[in-house]
Amino acid sequence: MPRIEDCEVHLNQEVAEDHYRMVVHAPGIAGEARAGQFCMIEVQEGLYPFLRRPMSFERIYPDSLSILYKVEGKGTRMMSRFSPGQTISIQGPLGKPFPLDPHHDRHILVAGGIGVAPFPALAEAIIGTLGRTPEVILAARSENHLLCEDEFHEMGCTVHLATDDGSAGDKAFASEVLRRLNPGPGAMVYCCGPMVMMKATQRVCSDLGLPCLASLEAEMACGDGVCLGCVVPTVTDREAGSSVRVCHDGPVFDAGLIDWDGV
Amino acid sequence: MTEDTRTSKQPTLQINLGGLVMKNPVTVGSGTFAYGEEYHQYFDVSRLGAVTVKSLSLEPRPGNKPPRLVETPAGMLNAIGLQNVGLDAYLREKMPFLRAHGCTIIGNIYGHNPEEYAELARRLEAEGGADAIEANLSCPNVHDAKNARGCQLVAQDPALVRRYTETIRNATGLPLFVKLSPNVIDIAESALAAEAGGANAVSLVNTLTGMGIDPETRRPMLSNIVGGLSGPAIRPVAVKLVWDAARAIQIPIIGMGGICNASDAMQFILAGATAVAVGSYTFRQPDAAIRVIDGLEDYCARHHVERITQLVGGMQL
Ligand SMILES: Cc1cc2nc3c(=O)[nH]c(=O)nc-3n(C[C@H](O)[C@H](O)[C@H](O)COP(=O)(O)OP(=O)(O)OC[C@H]3O[C@@H](n4cnc5c(N)ncnc54)[C@H](O)[C@@H]3O)c2cc1C
Ligand SMILES: Cc1cc2nc3c(=O)[nH]c(=O)nc-3n(C[C@H](O)[C@H](O)[C@H](O)COP(=O)(O)O)c2cc1C
Ligand code: FES
Repeated sequence: MPRIEDCEVHLNQEVAEDHYRMVVHAPGIAGEARAGQFCMIEVQEGLYPFLRRPMSFERIYPDSLSILYKVEGKGTRMMSRFSPGQTISIQGPLGKPFPLDPHHDRHILVAGGIGVAPFPALAEAIIGTLGRTPEVILAARSENHLLCEDEFHEMGCTVHLATDDGSAGDKAFASEVLRRLNPGPGAMVYCCGPMVMMKATQRVCSDLGLPCLASLEAEMACGDGVCLGCVVPTVTDREAGSSVRVCHDGPVFDAGLIDWDGV
Repeated sequence: MTEDTRTSKQPTLQINLGGLVMKNPVTVGSGTFAYGEEYHQYFDVSRLGAVTVKSLSLEPRPGNKPPRLVETPAGMLNAIGLQNVGLDAYLREKMPFLRAHGCTIIGNIYGHNPEEYAELARRLEAEGGADAIEANLSCPNVHDAKNARGCQLVAQDPALVRRYTETIRNATGLPLFVKLSPNVIDIAESALAAEAGGANAVSLVNTLTGMGIDPETRRPMLSNIVGGLSGPAIRPVAVKLVWDAARAIQIPIIGMGGICNASDAMQFILAGATAVAVGSYTFRQPDAAIRVIDGLEDYCARHHVERITQLVGGMQL
């Protein structure tokens, strides 16, 4: 069950330009959290920003959580100023975790930019629960925006790098790297990143006949399935305008379910 | 402590809202609490004076396309478009939870015409789906309202308010509340029309219409272009509208608009509201309404007030 917990910040460090890693003491939330779920962070006590900010769990420890985030606007800028020892209010865990299906012999995590955030926890879960070592396609604008490479290596994962400017790895989009890997049947693809990148990854997966799970983002108010503000359209019953709530029905979805043209 | 000494010291928060007895004056804004189940994970929802459910229509509604939300200074704009499960699914799947937990239910309804509202009220009463009806005549986010621009509301025409209210009144014996729009020239006129139509209370206010434009893309921030503004940003406006209405009508008022804590709620009560609803702030702080209840009790104790009803309209001039 989700809860609201006052959490002490242990660490809040810049790991790349405008990217931070924060570790918070959150025994209640961490005790229940699973890879793919998220939390809502109160960025300050005042009323602007009015809403909490949704953030994935980068790593889940026995009594703490790690959050990897990019400074996008005012809320995340305020987060970047949290200092160790400070107490912040966190609500979670929210949403559905990544399903872990033992029937796949190959697990490929496709990350675009800050979309890598939920993947260290997922890699750990795949290793710990399924006894398989996932491989990672890590894509970003340029070399200094490639995050978590060392973490994945430490877990024993093969990492394929790709950058838009060719400063590291292939000069290619993540979805193109996936197509070139040409994984056979039995592989499972997980993706998280900009919408265009997930849409392209889904297209590659559908061409290759592979299942694909996507972790989506949307503007959120409640994070709890109440406000109906975070919906994305689905391909089922398009006429009726059917949609799913990213916060409550997701954020992880079968990418084939999402109407990417309507997002 | 024995029950007797407790009750003799404890202020009474109980109210009678146009025939609906509530154990405290605090409910939630329709659409900010769904049907109660989600927030029951954080607290016992039966502690609320009443649960006001998301607007119900006869048929399920898919709502507007995304994006439906945008944050604003001290508030938010939404254009959900009254997405809801529809009356049948509510009665079958949602209402049993609220009943099982002993909640008092305010059934908020939305229809395309007076007859649909009447039908919704009739069925909610017949099937035990609500203890009072709140007719939403003021949602800014539906294109199928009176005209296609989605900005003209039933609540903006006092003659229509009266006609809709009369039709619903004839369909139900439950206490009937009419939810009005802040986007009017004279709120007293709207409230008087609801009173004349037979309403037992008015709910003030629904969201204020607003919009946002992304200067970089030059596109509207909401797919619906316009939306409803809620949150603390609208509170001073809402308090003033409650005060205006309270001086014009005899029936009680449910005040809402940006309530975050008991002090905010007290502003509405002192302006003339008998009950209050906590809306958007629940998104930030799920148990906000419970904190308001506790805070009101504390306020009464601190001010040596025995019954909260003694404070209604109690602004000192
Ligand atoms: C389930 C979920 C998990 C997320 N996990 C992470 C994470 O682990 N690390 C991370 O860096 N970011 C994550 N995000 C995105 C993050 O929530 C937004 O970047 C953040 O809310 C922006 O807040 P801000 O105040 O800095 O930006 P604002 O000033 O509010 O807006 C700046 C820009 O960010 C966009 N934005 C605002 N809110 C969101 C949102 N909820 N999702 C996407 N874009 C948004 C706005 O459209 C605008 O373009 C996640 C989002 C979701 C929905
Ligand atoms: C996301 C959202 C959805 C809403 N949906 C409804 C609704 O379905 N019916 C209705 O009568 N009011 C609806 N409202 C209006 C609220 O009930 C309330 O009148 C308004 O938000 C002002 O209160 P607040 O500032 O405390 O949120 C909605 C408000 C929000 C923010
Ligand atoms: S954020 Fe409110 S329903 Fe998803």
